[in-house]
Amino acid sequence: MSKDILVVDNLNMHYETLEGKVMAVNNVTFSVKEGESFGLVGESGCGKSSVASTLLQLQSDNAVISSGSIKLDEKELVGMTESELRKVRWNDISIVFQGAMNAWNPVIKIGEQIREAIREHYPSNSKKENTEKISELFKIVGLEDSIMDRYPHELSGGMKQRAVIALALSCDPKIVIADEPTTALDVVIQDQILKEIKKVQELLGLSLIYISHDIAVIAEMTDNMAVMYAGSIVEKGPTASIFSNPRHAYTRLLLESTPSVVGEKKKLRALDGEPPSLINGLDACAFSPRCPDPSDDCKNGNLEMKLIEIEDGHWADQCCVNCG
Amino acid sequence: MVEYIIRRTLQMIVVFFIFLVSSYLLFNAIPGNAFSNLLLNPNLPPDAYQKVLETYGLDKPLGERVQLYVVNFFKGDFGYSYKYFPKTPIELIAERLPRTLMLFSVVNIVAFYTGFFIGKILAWRRGSKSETWITITSVFSYTVFYPWFALMMLWFFGYKMGWFPIGKFLYPEKWYDAPFDSDVIFSMMIKFTLVVSLLQFFAYTATRGIEALSSRRNIRFASLIAIFIGSYFYWNTGEALARKPYAADIAYHMILPVMVVTIVAFAGTALLTRTTMMEVLKEDYILTARAKGISQKRIRDRHAARTALLPVVTSFIFTIVTIIDGSVLTEQIFSWPGMGQLLLQAVLEEDIPVAMAAFSFVGVFALIAHLIADISYSYLDPRIRVKSQG
Ligand SMILES: Nc1ncnc2c1ncn2[C@@H]1O[C@H](COP(=O)(O)OP(=O)(O)OP(=O)(O)O)[C@@H](O)[C@H]1O
Ligand code: SF4
Ligand SMILES: [Mg+2]
Repeated sequence: MSKDILVVDNLNMHYETLEGKVMAVNNVTFSVKEGESFGLVGESGCGKSSVASTLLQLQSDNAVISSGSIKLDEKELVGMTESELRKVRWNDISIVFQGAMNAWNPVIKIGEQIREAIREHYPSNSKKENTEKISELFKIVGLEDSIMDRYPHELSGGMKQRAVIALALSCDPKIVIADEPTTALDVVIQDQILKEIKKVQELLGLSLIYISHDIAVIAEMTDNMAVMYAGSIVEKGPTASIFSNPRHAYTRLLLESTPSVVGEKKKLRALDGEPPSLINGLDACAFSPRCPDPSDDCKNGNLEMKLIEIEDGHWADQCCVNCG
Repeated sequence: MVEYIIRRTLQMIVVFFIFLVSSYLLFNAIPGNAFSNLLLNPNLPPDAYQKVLETYGLDKPLGERVQLYVVNFFKGDFGYSYKYFPKTPIELIAERLPRTLMLFSVVNIVAFYTGFFIGKILAWRRGSKSETWITITSVFSYTVFYPWFALMMLWFFGYKMGWFPIGKFLYPEKWYDAPFDSDVIFSMMIKFTLVVSLLQFFAYTATRGIEALSSRRNIRFASLIAIFIGSYFYWNTGEALARKPYAADIAYHMILPVMVVTIVAFAGTALLTRTTMMEVLKEDYILTARAKGISQKRIRDRHAARTALLPVVTSFIFTIVTIIDGSVLTEQIFSWPGMGQLLLQAVLEEDIPVAMAAFSFVGVFALIAHLIADISYSYLDPRIRVKSQG
C-alpha cells in the first residue's frame, strides 16, 4: 500500500471581512496517497479554491488558519516561514490555478517563465539542460518547442493551458493541484486537456488533486473524492463507492442533477435554492434548507455535523447517514 | 522594428512640417517687433529701408515667405539675430543647446528612476506607516507651486546653508584663463554620460542569457566596477585630466537644479507607479510567481514592476513636452543660460529669428524625445512589438 503524501487534518480557515468572518474551510480532513488522483467537488463558493490555496500556503492576506495541520510528505506546512515555503512550493507541490489563462505574465516569454521556476529549484542546471527539460515537458503535453520563444498573447487558450500544465510539472512536484483547469475552454479543448492531465498523471505516477464543480468530470478523473458543501466535507471516499452508493442528500442531488453519459436516462433534477452564506459559520446541517426530506433531527439541529465511516474508506455526515 | 521606426519617422516629418508652418504663422501674427520698430524710424533713409526689406525678404507675400522659411530651415539658414546682429540664431543655439541637454537629460533620468523606484516600494509596502507618509509627501510635492518651491530651496540650500551656488552654471572667475569654451566641456560631459549608459545597457543585455542567477549578478557587478575604473582612468589621463576641474565646476552647479526638479517631478511617476503596480499585484500571474517559489524581490522587480512600467512610460512620453516647457521656468529661476532662457529672452526682446529658431529646435527636440520613448515602449511591451512587425 502506497503511503500518504498529503495529510490534511481538521483544517479550519476563515476570511476576515467587514461583514464578519467568512468560514470558508471547516474541519476539513482528507489525505492523498502517492500516485493517487483525488477529486474535490462542490458548488461554486463552497470553498474548494480556499482549500487549494492553503495547501500551498498562498491564501489571501485576510485569510486566517485558526487550527488544523497540513502535512506534505511529513513536513508541516502550517506555520512554515516564507523562505521554507519557497523551497516546498513547486518542488513538492504545484498548482494549476483556476483561470490559468491569466497565469502568464504578458511581458515575459513562456519559456523564460518556466525556466525561472526551474532555475529557482535547480540552481546548478545549465541553460541547455533547462531547455531540454522544457522541451521534454512540452512533448508530453503536446506543444512544439517554438512555443518557448512566444509571448502569452501569441498562444491560444488551449495552448496556454497546456503550457501551464508543463509549468506545473517543471520542478518534478510530488503532488499537483488542478483547480478547475478547463473552465475557460471550449468543450472540445476541455476534453483534450482532461485526457492530457490524466495521461500525464499516469505516466509520471503523480499525485493529483482535481478540483471541479462538475461531478461527471470527477468521476472520469479520480480514484477518491470528497464532496464539499458550505466549507465542509460532507462525504468522501472511493469515487466508485460514492457513485454507486451516495449517502449524503447533497451528493445524491448532485448526481441526479448531472446528466450521465453512460447508463440509463433518468429525469434530471434541478438543485433549487442557493448555498448558504458562510458568514459567521453555521450550526447543524448546512444543507437542510435545500434538503428534499430533512428529518426532524436535522431540522432541530440536534445532530452535530460529523463524518462517520459507513463502509471501507467511505465516510459521510452522520446525520445524513442516520436520516437516510 | 525597422519598419516601425521608419514609419514613425515619416509621421514625425509630417508633424514637424505642420509645426513649422503654424509656428511661422503664429510669430507672424505678433504685432510689431524689434525689426519693424527699426523700419518705423523716420530717420531711416529710403534706400536703406528698401535694402533691409530685401535682405530679410519682408516685402514678399506671406505664402512665399512661409515657403522660403521652410526651405531655409532645412538648409539650416535662419537669417541673423536682430539683437546680436552678425551672429546667426544657429550660433546662439549651438552655444546654449548642450547646457539644456545636459541639465534636462540628467534631471529626467534621475526623476524618472527615483519616481519609479519609490512608487515600486510604496506599492510593495502597501498599508505600512512608511507608505502612508511617503505617499503624503509625494502628493505634496506633486501639487506644490513649483516656482515658489524652487525659490525656497534656492534660498535654503544656496543662501541659508550656503552649500550650493545660487544660479549660473559655473563660477566665471574660474574660467577666465580656461583655454576652451564651456560648451566644449558640456559636449564632453554629454558624450561621457552617453557612453557610460550605453556600456551599462550592453553589459546588462549581454548577461541576460546567463542561466545561473548568482553568476549573472556577479558578472553584472563586475562590469559595473569595470565601467567605474574605466571612468576613473578616463578622467585622470590626458585631455580629460586638464578639463576635470571645469567639468566638476559645472557638475557642482547642476546639483541644486537637478535636486529641486527631481523633488517636484518624481512624484507624478511615483504615484502612478504605485497605483499601477498595486493593480498588477492583484493579477493571477503574481500568484503563480509566488507559487513557483520565486523570491519576493524578483517577483517585485521582474514580474510586478516590469509590467507596471508600461503605463508609467506612456504617461512619461506625454510629459516630455511639458518638461521642455518647464525648462523655460527652471532656467529662469536658476539663471541657467540654456535654450529656455534664450527662447524667453528672444521673445521678450522681439528677436524673431532667434525666437523662431529656438522654438523650432524645441519642437525637433520634443519630437525626437517622443520617438525615442515610443521605440523604448515597443521594446518594453511585446504585444506592441509584434503588431508593429506584422
Ligand atoms: N479573499 C477573500 N476574502 C473574503 N472572502 C473570500 C475570499 N476568497 C474567497 N472568499 C469567499 O470564500 C468562499 C469560498 O470561496 P472559494 O473561492 O474557495 O470557492 P470555490 O469553491 O473555489 O468556488 P468556485 O467554484 O467559484 O471557484 C466564498 O464564499 C468566497 O466568496
Ligand atoms: S443531514 Fe438531514 S437536512 Fe442535512 S442533508 Fe442530510 S437529511 Fe438533509
Ligand atoms: Mg474556485
